[in-house]
Amino acid sequence: MKKTFFIYCLSLMVFIAVPSWAADGKALVKSNKCGSCHKMQGPAVKTIAEVLKRKAPDLFYAGSKFNKDWLVKYIQSPTVIRPGGVVYTNNIKLNGDQDEPANLLKCASKLSAGDAAAVGDYLMSLKDATMKVGVFKKAKIKKAMARRVMMKGEACNACHSFPKRGGGVSCPTFEGIGSRLNPDWMYSFVNHPQKWDPKVWMAKRDLDDATLQLIVNFLSSMK
Amino acid sequence: MKNINKSMKILTMFLLAAPLIMVSFGLASAKETATDNYKLYCVQCHGTKGTGKGINAPFLSVAPRNHTSAKDMGELSDDNVFKAIKSGGGAVGKSTQMPSWGAVMTDDEIHDMVKRLRVMCKCEGKK
Ligand code: HEC
Ligand code: HEC
Ligand code: HEC
Repeated sequence: MKKTFFIYCLSLMVFIAVPSWAADGKALVKSNKCGSCHKMQGPAVKTIAEVLKRKAPDLFYAGSKFNKDWLVKYIQSPTVIRPGGVVYTNNIKLNGDQDEPANLLKCASKLSAGDAAAVGDYLMSLKDATMKVGVFKKAKIKKAMARRVMMKGEACNACHSFPKRGGGVSCPTFEGIGSRLNPDWMYSFVNHPQKWDPKVWMAKRDLDDATLQLIVNFLSSMK
Repeated sequence: MKNINKSMKILTMFLLAAPLIMVSFGLASAKETATDNYKLYCVQCHGTKGTGKGINAPFLSVAPRNHTSAKDMGELSDDNVFKAIKSGGGAVGKSTQMPSWGAVMTDDEIHDMVKRLRVMCKCEGKK
């Protein structure tokens, strides 16, 4: 009786231990040295001198920022998101008297599907507790109106590239942004970029809730 | 006696922590130089040389001001330049493709920026 109970306990321990061991995303982040380029712990840097040393985007609030499906795929085969590089101003070459982006430092992550799932679980657990969730309201919007706001009045396309229509290259492309990012996070970021990155080179605007909903609905539709 | 000990402990802890607290507050509000602000915020459109040929410029429908042109910059008063930087092109009747930086730079930093632009254009503001 005692013996069977012991074996039962042992097998239970193995059963519990093995999956969580194989799926230790935090250990994988460490062994793959993601932290040698990405900041894995907050708070965000607060001076330009520190921003200029940034090698890769901050990941310490990944769980608030990304959609999990996109994240797990991306860390298996990363693509270019920032056509001008992570900190564009460190990455300029001259073509005559015209500035152009020089070289791109691509994300080095090349995880297997299994490891990516574990790392995805871990990264999605890194949430910013102060971000309001459930703010974004999915709605049917007039795309022409959204374009007028974003490509005329607010001139988002001065820095961001729109699918098919193009635009600036000093920051992330909007191509596929709807698959990539959590709409509640987009709402928070567009409302106050400096909350996430005090020295980010996107100006803060005074947009009301209706305009933010319009913008984020439009961004979310860019799958 | 016990109470005195306790308050002494709290006092020492406070004295030890005070410089740390001051340092972290100092960092949060450290003033940036106009050179660094220009490099991070303006170069994307106005270019590394300030001539309006930034990496975003080819995608704009209005050319960013050439900050090295005494002619173009000489037409603007210092107040106008300050307002354009703080509140954006829209606030001075120009293109909204020139963003407003009032929530990113302090007034003090914007005044430094106006001075820097005057060095770049080797010109004075219209009176
Ligand atoms: C050699 C430096 C380097 C290493 C190591 C690295 N990355 Fe990256 N990573 C980058 C760069 C650069 C980008 C930005 C790519 C772009 O925007 O085009 C990036 C982008 C990302 C993004 C998208 C971030 C965003 O905000 O758009 C994620 C997620 C990511 N990396 C995860 C990882 C993970 C997980 C690891 C470890 C397994 C890792 N990276 C290792 C350099 C690195
Ligand atoms: C002056 C340049 C500039 C303008 C204009 C601008 N942005 Fe940004 N934007 C940035 C920068 C810089 C970032 C952050 C870069 C990074 O994470 O590497 C950013 C990030 C974002 C993000 C998060 C994107 C991501 O992939 O991580 C969203 C969403 C966004 N901007 C929306 C907007 C909208 C909407 C507008 C217009 C209302 C706008 N931006 C105008 C520079 C700009
Ligand atoms: C997203 C692109 C962009 C960025 C970033 C940008 N500018 Fe501009 N700027 C423009 C454009 C476009 C114009 C021309 C507006 C016009 O002529 O209608 C302009 C015009 C100006 C003018 C002339 C205003 C006037 O009244 O004629 C000044 C001064 C200026 N910018 C300073 C700056 C400074 C300083 C920064 C950085 C803090 C900066 N700009 C960042 C695009 C930009």
